[in-house]
Amino acid sequence: MLYIHKTYCISAQQDLLQANIELINEAVDKKLLAIEPSYEKIPPGILRRMGKSIRMGVGAALPLISETDNIDGIIMGSANAGMDDCVKFLNQMVQYEEGQLTPGSFVQSTGNVIAGQLGLITKNKGYNITHIHLGLAFENALLDAMMQLNTNQSNTYLVGGVDEISPFHYNIETLAGSYKKEDISNKYLYETDSPGCVVGEGAAMFVVNAEAASSIAKVAAISTIHSTDIELLKQQLNLFLQKNIPAGENVDLFLSGENGDNRTLPYYTACETLLADDTAVVRYKHMVGDYATVSAPGLWYACEFLQQPVPEHMFKKKTSKTEYRNILLYNNFKGLQHSFILVSNL
Amino acid sequence: MGVISAIGNSVAENHQSLKNATCGVSKEFDLFPTKYAGLLPFGQVPISTEDLQKQLLVNDPGVTRTTLLALHALNEAIADCGISAEEIQSFDTALIGANTVGGMCLTDELYNDANEKTDGSDYLASYDCASVNLYLQKHFKIKGIINTINTACSSSANAIMYGAMLMKNGYAKRAIVGGTDCLAKFTINGFNALHILSSDNCTPFDEGRKGLNLGEGAAFLILEKEEDIKGRKVYAELTGYSNANDAYHPSSLSDEGDGPFLSMQGALKVANLTADKIDFINAHGTGTENNDEVESKAMIRLFDKPPAFASTKGNIGHTLGASGAIEAVYSILSLIHQEVYANLHFKNTIPSTGLTPVQSYTKMPVNHIMSNSFGFGGNCSSLIFSKV
Repeated sequence: MLYIHKTYCISAQQDLLQANIELINEAVDKKLLAIEPSYEKIPPGILRRMGKSIRMGVGAALPLISETDNIDGIIMGSANAGMDDCVKFLNQMVQYEEGQLTPGSFVQSTGNVIAGQLGLITKNKGYNITHIHLGLAFENALLDAMMQLNTNQSNTYLVGGVDEISPFHYNIETLAGSYKKEDISNKYLYETDSPGCVVGEGAAMFVVNAEAASSIAKVAAISTIHSTDIELLKQQLNLFLQKNIPAGENVDLFLSGENGDNRTLPYYTACETLLADDTAVVRYKHMVGDYATVSAPGLWYACEFLQQPVPEHMFKKKTSKTEYRNILLYNNFKGLQHSFILVSNL
Repeated sequence: MGVISAIGNSVAENHQSLKNATCGVSKEFDLFPTKYAGLLPFGQVPISTEDLQKQLLVNDPGVTRTTLLALHALNEAIADCGISAEEIQSFDTALIGANTVGGMCLTDELYNDANEKTDGSDYLASYDCASVNLYLQKHFKIKGIINTINTACSSSANAIMYGAMLMKNGYAKRAIVGGTDCLAKFTINGFNALHILSSDNCTPFDEGRKGLNLGEGAAFLILEKEEDIKGRKVYAELTGYSNANDAYHPSSLSDEGDGPFLSMQGALKVANLTADKIDFINAHGTGTENNDEVESKAMIRLFDKPPAFASTKGNIGHTLGASGAIEAVYSILSLIHQEVYANLHFKNTIPSTGLTPVQSYTKMPVNHIMSNSFGFGGNCSSLIFSKV
């Protein structure tokens, strides 16, 4: 387990808890583009050369690092950081027929670029790693932090998840049929019955350690599996609940990664059938869109819901509860990569 | 263990080549058309992608060379270890793999797909690095924790470390760990743009070194806890591991070598060993001006008088995300056979360090061996393997 002390999130919504659905930002060309802050803590010379995911990742992390006494390591999850620079370099290579190329994009094309830049800018020589396992990149980063804290109990780590809608990646995913073909508004995402999601992007960062005192939330457990078998998924969820929910307690709030894609909906509804009648069901992807490391803003929402009310438009199912002790996040990436994260108050 | 590289398709072949000081790096190159074919030396695995597909009976579309090399090495590791399909498919078997190239080897396909010049190739789901392990997951029906790590050239050292951490923390009983990367026009041009590719065979730790040679390959190792071994053969114990950041520059190491120093020091601490217990260092030793001098200085700083050391980059080139895993296999071969292998093409010591690597195949007692991997983004990792 680990305890979350500070959070920062960049997403498509300026106000991540916007209570009025009419006021949430709409997708532009079916893309929920991040609202970026002014990045005052990034030196302008460096900022200019940064690709969007690097900018968002570094920009979300620096405020947290600067207000934390000592960060012992940086643990990042990103499926496609560096992808944009990668194709930029590739295009340069094809267009100039392998001529004299500038290495800038190549150096920024490696997947570990965000954690590397953060180490460099903050002079952090501690543990530094990047998990890139697509829809479970952030989950592995979180699990890594748990394991590091189990061994080094007095340490504090920065954990985050970052991904961008890069034009090139967007083209590839469009060809692969990942996104909705029809014109829809993200406000009515769950009313659709068609394949595809609305793509999003963002960065969510967390300062974590093993100290319960003055923390916001506890990440009690994580479980991941690769499967397309709904029965196996249900079995895994049952095991996870048996093992991790304390006797006499329940999942109070199910934070569902439902994304409007009718190909993955059966997995989400299957999970809902295993939960108690008084478990509220809450959705968030109409706010931030869907992408590989979307569990990072998901975790940010879970932390918020331990402290303040859930906006009406986020409920799929409302219960009489107004305070939540155990929040279960479930995410499904492309019908194959599943994760359960149990977040609780202390 | 399983390994495939420019000097062999199996652990046995690699072992023989290391003993013979075989250099697998040459200017003979026919993998794909590139301006640099015949001009720069590469450590190419001498099997075409089509032949790999045939040998491995892979008929699915969209499988990259990166993945095929990984599958080749993993098949060997599984056969060598003798674990059953049931064990591979149990919920407590993890798969942790690393790579940095992914499907970037498919230059033309990626160019066309990313720039909307096609209706979509067979490779849409193969470009990202996670695609390798997603393929292996499906192929072997793995149900435990699966992860892909990218810390540039130290990626697979971190995959080994993460696998060990999963076992230590009770998230897996068994971890399949390793890495893969294939030669790609993308990396050739990238490293060339940085002016760190040598036009001749690389000469790690030599005064006149001119840069690195790119190579390709894959390796997998199967880790089990001591109590779960059940009479299977055991090659070595992973006793130490550590990861630190140099925090100096995106693509080169600091003069002081803080990152390399801290990763080596951290691995000793985890292994609970003093520096004098390390018998041999399998150095990162890429043959670039920056790496070899900084690594040498960091070794002197930590060990005062560094133990015997060598780099195998002269044999197989720099295999990037695969190097940590391939060199873990080589380090373990040293422990099993109580021998160390020659650092190829070395002539003169670097004046500022005065260090001379092992220059010939040598029989010697090896109880603890340290293996270094350093990468872009300041990502430094060191592993320690010990004799059992």
